[in-house]
Amino acid sequence: MNGPDIALALCGIIALYAAVRIVLEKDTMRKLPFLNVVSFAISGSIVLLVPHPLAIVAAAAYFVGSTLESNAIASTYAGGPRDE
Amino acid sequence: MNEVLMVVFGAMVVLRAIATIISRDQFDKLISLGIVVAGIMPFLADRGLLDVLIATALIAPLSTIFILMAIRRREDGS
Repeated sequence: MNGPDIALALCGIIALYAAVRIVLEKDTMRKLPFLNVVSFAISGSIVLLVPHPLAIVAAAAYFVGSTLESNAIASTYAGGPRDE
Repeated sequence: MNEVLMVVFGAMVVLRAIATIISRDQFDKLISLGIVVAGIMPFLADRGLLDVLIATALIAPLSTIFILMAIRRREDGS
């Protein structure tokens, strides 16, 4: 097992752990940081799986998209922007 | 991708799809849906479908934001 394989296995373990933690948490607000952890681990595993320059663009696009998604869920859960 | 990682990501997708069906809270459903989308990404990258991956990664948050707009409108109306 060389370096990228160990890093890929670590990304998979982190993603699975965060997914299991989301199942076990009862409070919705405490689930959202683990959603971010899942998206970090998946972005890392995309780059480590494919040794291609476009994989960096794909991982960056997924990172931006998933961060936007989880922040939109958190913002709506907290009540959304106040109407002035 | 070796078999262990394939089982890990596949288990993530299947378990969260079941959790999306049985969870009661609407925000819990959206969080589970986000993890289903996250779980299919390594399979797309493994086959080399990087353009499909970029399109999916940009379209899936847009659909979540549309669902959130519908949730917010329903909460405001009630």
